[in-house]
Amino acid sequence: MVTFNYSPEGKEFTATFAGRLDTMAVQKLSEIVQVNLPASPGSSGDKIIFDLKDVEYISSSFIRICVSIAKQAGTGKFSIVHSQPLIKKTFKISGLDELLNVS
Amino acid sequence: MAVNLVEKANDVIDRAQLAAAEFQQYDQEQTDRIVESVFRAGFQNRIKLAMMAHEETGMGIWEHKVIKNVLGTQLVYESIRNEKTVGVISSDSRTGITEIAQPLGPILAIVPVTNPTSTTMFKILICLKSRNPIIISAHRGASKSCAETVRICYEAALEAGAPEDCIQMISSGNRDFTQMIMAHEKIALILATGGTGLVKAAYSSGNPAIGVGPGNVPVYIDESADIPFAVKSIISSKTFDNGTICASEQAIVVMESMEQQVKEEFQKQHCYFLTPEEIVKVGNIAVLADTMSMSPFIVGQPVSVIATKAGINVPEGTKILLAKLDGIGKEHPLSYEVLAPILAFYTANDYHAAMNICLDLNYLGGLGHTVCIYSNDESRIMQFARLLNAGRVLVNTPTSQGGVGYFYNHLPPSLTLGCGTGGKNITTENITAKNLINIQRICRRMPNELWFSHDQAEFYDESRTTDEIIHNYYKNH
Repeated sequence: MVTFNYSPEGKEFTATFAGRLDTMAVQKLSEIVQVNLPASPGSSGDKIIFDLKDVEYISSSFIRICVSIAKQAGTGKFSIVHSQPLIKKTFKISGLDELLNVS
Repeated sequence: MAVNLVEKANDVIDRAQLAAAEFQQYDQEQTDRIVESVFRAGFQNRIKLAMMAHEETGMGIWEHKVIKNVLGTQLVYESIRNEKTVGVISSDSRTGITEIAQPLGPILAIVPVTNPTSTTMFKILICLKSRNPIIISAHRGASKSCAETVRICYEAALEAGAPEDCIQMISSGNRDFTQMIMAHEKIALILATGGTGLVKAAYSSGNPAIGVGPGNVPVYIDESADIPFAVKSIISSKTFDNGTICASEQAIVVMESMEQQVKEEFQKQHCYFLTPEEIVKVGNIAVLADTMSMSPFIVGQPVSVIATKAGINVPEGTKILLAKLDGIGKEHPLSYEVLAPILAFYTANDYHAAMNICLDLNYLGGLGHTVCIYSNDESRIMQFARLLNAGRVLVNTPTSQGGVGYFYNHLPPSLTLGCGTGGKNITTENITAKNLINIQRICRRMPNELWFSHDQAEFYDESRTTDEIIHNYYKNH
């Protein structure tokens, strides 16, 4: 459901998600994501990227995690890429697409 | 001065209220006679009023304004002539509910500069059909042509026996005065067609309002589309009255694989793709940098005027300017709504990316308004409709003529297009006479047997499960 990849050159940490990220799934994922993220993304200067290419559903709890990590990372250090149109729409309706830099 | 304005506002509204009091006594036949008389007078003057509007505003094309005037008179009239808007409008013996139409009272109708005479006639017809006096507040740039329209319609209404002052016009030159009328306690409804600020003022007045939202219409040309047909259709729409209808196309989105073919088709049909330098020049004059709203000096202008203002040379006879953009938002002024023959053009490397571009354009400023897809694939059409927030999802249709109804579909002909909550409106409908009546419902006693045969003590018994109670509620039915 989630895999991690770190690119030292670009200082980019990518978490690639797949499937339905409903409340139950996010409960399981939450800790895994936190453990695997850079310890203090904001100060280390790492960029955090969530790749949602194969995600077909997101719950509000997943959006909350995104917001929390984006805040930790700081301005411009967090982005969401490869959202499918309905997922992108979900972020837009939440009003958080700009904060989370969704594309 | 302020006292004078208050007196003036009170005078206008008192007159309208007297007209409302008299009008509510009219039956359907009397009402319809007035509506027909006004339709005939407006229709008879469609060419003169179109020319006046064009001359006064300097916007659009007078021949196209004639068609708008036909829409605002003949087509609107035909769509409402057989509607019941007085007295009993429906009665259902099965439910025991009888519906009665009641007028609302004085309606303040705001008329935009882009479609002045047509919108004035349209609003007058739907207000009179619903027995509501109307106070027209025309854009100051179109006040003369609107005043002449009002004069013609009012005389025709009086000849057919309408109440005195059933149609009035106020000058919109003084914003305070307009807002005073908007907020007046005796105004029943504001029918606000115009820019965002004006619609917001109407909604903030404390009186009920039916408004419209801005449009930023994305058009997706799918791989299954007939490209020459789609391009021809888009051109016929975007050049209609030089793009002044708010439902007109704003951006074209295609797959990279189709780019060349679509581009060549636009060029073949006398459209011009701007160079990157020209895009900057046109963007600078078409969109105001501080507000990202369209420049009033560009609205409804032909390509030749826009090119001159921007300081660029384009082939003679160019119908539309297209700007290939690689982004959406403030860095790309032409991604915003411009009611002129200018189109943004986007390419995407796959279907999902194309949909995401449409979504971004939709959310940039056109929520709830209109979107369009050219496709022969039903599943793509349904996906497009589900994804985008628009009251009108037009299929294989020119959006200017499609959005206003009648010509290409069975939407009610209208020059006030509701945009739902996305556009901060109460409805996504094409507004017409039925939106301007209060419906009373006579509800005859028809006891609901389910309710009265049920032992209501069960509702107070916490030991009973939901399933048990529901089972008993419907038992033997």
